[in-house]
Amino acid sequence: MTNPVSYLLSCIFVIVTHGSMLMNVYTNGKYDSINDIITLSAGVILLDAVYFIIMPFFKQRTYAVDFMLLLILNMSMIFQSCFGGVHFDAKHFITCIAALVSCRIGYIACRNHRWIQTKKKFVWAGIAVLMVIILLFTGSRSMWIDLGFMSIQPSEFIKPLLVLACATSIAEQMNKKKLGEFNVVYDNLILFGITAIIILFQWWCRDLGSIPTFAAIYASCFFLRICYPKAKFSKKTLIIAGSVVGVLGIIAIILAPAYVKDRIFADIWSDPDANGYQQTKALIAIAEGGWFGKGAGKGFLHKVFAYESDIVFATISEEWGLLYALMTVLMLLIMVAMPLVNPPRSYYHGTMCAGIAAAFTMQMALNIFGSCNMIPFTGVTLPFISAGGSSMVTSGLMVGMIVAAQSPVFANPSHKPKKSGKKRKRRTV
Amino acid sequence: MDIAICAAAVALLDICALVILIASYMEKHSGKKVWSKIAADMELTDETRVYPLECDEILIGRHASADIRIQDMSVSRYHAMLNVTDGKWTINDIGSKSGIYVNGELVRHVRLYDNDVITLGNRRLIFRKRRIQK
Repeated sequence: MTNPVSYLLSCIFVIVTHGSMLMNVYTNGKYDSINDIITLSAGVILLDAVYFIIMPFFKQRTYAVDFMLLLILNMSMIFQSCFGGVHFDAKHFITCIAALVSCRIGYIACRNHRWIQTKKKFVWAGIAVLMVIILLFTGSRSMWIDLGFMSIQPSEFIKPLLVLACATSIAEQMNKKKLGEFNVVYDNLILFGITAIIILFQWWCRDLGSIPTFAAIYASCFFLRICYPKAKFSKKTLIIAGSVVGVLGIIAIILAPAYVKDRIFADIWSDPDANGYQQTKALIAIAEGGWFGKGAGKGFLHKVFAYESDIVFATISEEWGLLYALMTVLMLLIMVAMPLVNPPRSYYHGTMCAGIAAAFTMQMALNIFGSCNMIPFTGVTLPFISAGGSSMVTSGLMVGMIVAAQSPVFANPSHKPKKSGKKRKRRTV
Repeated sequence: MDIAICAAAVALLDICALVILIASYMEKHSGKKVWSKIAADMELTDETRVYPLECDEILIGRHASADIRIQDMSVSRYHAMLNVTDGKWTINDIGSKSGIYVNGELVRHVRLYDNDVITLGNRRLIFRKRRIQK
């Protein structure tokens, strides 16, 4: 259990920070009635208070990541509720709660690596089931499954499962087996196969923006195997692997369909009403927002398609200012970098944290640089800030995995505490 | 447009992040105490130095990537692995050439107790309760 004073102080500062944002909305925002701000404030403060009360029941060793998550989620709630005029965004509020619940699930499922390693096959089966769902229900037609009352993007759920598959298989690095002339680790081959199939599926679904995220997860976990005992990766192997990836990337660009090449080599300012529509509008909005923004709800970007998801960084910059938008990104980076302050004590948790940091950083880079026209526009969401249930739930699950790495359990899955305090006899296992 | 309110909101966000980071540092220190309990407060020593056991899997070997690196040709590059579960430490042979001897007995996988003498090649290590350095 952490220091109660620091726990209380962190709670107070998170609430005060959200309070200052709401004060900013009240002073500078665009709203029809003060009741809109009261409802929004009540929702935000209630979510803060309930989570602060619930958290200690989980008896974690650290809570810093949870505080960061709650800080970011309610910031996102305030941003989303203010786009185009202050209102209470009930849908986003529900997805925020879903993210917090999935964070708890991620923590409970991943805190004991000895237990989760016995469930490795279920992780692989989960990926396989999601692949079948993508094959049957989505594909090149659409990435989404429309359930009427909500839409689900199944490929999002593969991200945490791929991180788990990489982390749970790291211990297998020790079990090299003969395959013809070579000593191989079967799990490494399976992981490579899974990643390759996922990337091919994403290509088929035309969701090219997700490919770098999956590649980043696999690459970070691949490189972490260097640190794992007996991995025996030499610098030569790594240079060869890096070169192969580089050559494959160039071949992919050469063989890419015309619509992809259009995106990569597009000059947005020569075509501001078609190919460069969102980016030109996003850049104008960032410039007009300046350092401190126009005021919550006073921007024009909410009239552009995907203002709340794909170009959300520009929408925040316009209404809240570039300084606040950059601070939001910094908060996300601090959250995924928490394991550097409090390092994990097992290779499994270390691999998991690295995979999640790689996925989040790649998504942030694609979203922000894409909307600023520094790289081709991909349509990837900004974790926790963009609207979208699938993204929120999977991001919450991944943060739960970081929480698990900060408060791990080192016990055998079958371990039951003995009632009697008798000393065991010494024996060779 | 009230810039002072905007600036105050940004400043408060900075301060909040700083407070959470300080809390995280404090948790790190309390985490060390918790880890001492998990690891039964054990350490490994040889004639020259003390090796703290700060991870649930610790590789002992000659290789640069080993957690406890012993630069002696009689020790394999990947010699042994120490593991802790439920506060019990075990040592495993991970394919060494000279084997592992615990209290003079050749073993492949054995639970360790306080003051056990582990011999890897020509090197002798003692597994013992952590001692506070004066």
